[in-house]
Amino acid sequence: MSGGPGLESLVDQTISVITNDGRNIVGVLKGFDQATNIILDESHERVYSTKEGVQQLVLGLYIIRGDNISVVGELDEDLDAHLDLSKLRAHPLKPVIH
Amino acid sequence: MLPLSLLKSAQGHPMLVELKNGETYNGHLVNCDTWMNIHLREVICTSKDGDRFWRMPECYIRGNTIKYLRVPDEVIDKVQEETKSRSDRKPPGVGRGRGRGREDGPGGRQPKGIGRGLDDGGAKGMGGGRGRGGSGGKAGGSRGAGRGRG
Amino acid sequence: MLFFSYFKDLVGREVTVELKNDLAIRGTLHSVDQYLNIKLENTRVVDQDKYPHMLSVRNCFIRGSVVRYVQLPPEGVDIELLHDATRREARGG
Repeated sequence: MSGGPGLESLVDQTISVITNDGRNIVGVLKGFDQATNIILDESHERVYSTKEGVQQLVLGLYIIRGDNISVVGELDEDLDAHLDLSKLRAHPLKPVIH
Repeated sequence: MLPLSLLKSAQGHPMLVELKNGETYNGHLVNCDTWMNIHLREVICTSKDGDRFWRMPECYIRGNTIKYLRVPDEVIDKVQEETKSRSDRKPPGVGRGRGRGREDGPGGRQPKGIGRGLDDGGAKGMGGGRGRGGSGGKAGGSRGAGRGRG
Repeated sequence: MLFFSYFKDLVGREVTVELKNDLAIRGTLHSVDQYLNIKLENTRVVDQDKYPHMLSVRNCFIRGSVVRYVQLPPEGVDIELLHDATRREARGG
């Protein structure tokens, strides 16, 4: 059925997107197209820093352009529930350099 | 649901566009096309650092310079109405089909659904079966996209 | 077309995909498409302490355009087959 790595299996699921500028945006995948442009609903950004825990910024409804997307991950709700984001420290991801 | 359908449905609504160079543009969508080129009215442009602003009556943005668009929450409910009212229409842009196909080679296997898989997916996406609890669920969208970072 | 076919033959194997942002993700190759977009299952980031950003992700889609390297299992490389396929490709077959 879902032969190629399309994103159809992730529609209506919570996903974690890493963008080329190093941001991490979590939201519900509502749609996508051939260019990997995606619709993210109820999205928020997770901001990583070494000084404090992960901050979450509410973003809302987003259309992210495919050429700005690095990774689309299926967020495992159980794993995520057990993550203590307030304790996570890390540098923000580096931007993609082509 | 296709990103470009959502964008089309956002016509007349306020939105925020961030470009790859970090500039953001706040304005009302006049029109857009299949390349994501967009035409905005009543625009406020903000520099990358958020320290300088320019107001302009309108602007036109080339699609491939866009990083993302932020649209008001309620626009997603509008798309559903529109796709319901013409659900017989095939989604544009998907279903590349055809092609030469290869006879042999190291990967001589049948392409497992690649090529037509997306066609089905697109149709499924248009159908519905979406679970967003109650149409009146979200409030506060009407003031639109006026956030900016930091 | 050659690499597309090649990667299709690697489906089911363990690979490590290094991205152009230095992130390296290891997992089972689930699928590839014509753009060399890659889907991995059972993923883990190679240096999780430095990159905890994907701790709750087990399956992911990687855009082909951001892949720097794909590290392959040695047994997934058949030199003879690749030589043949390369010649065929060069001939435009």
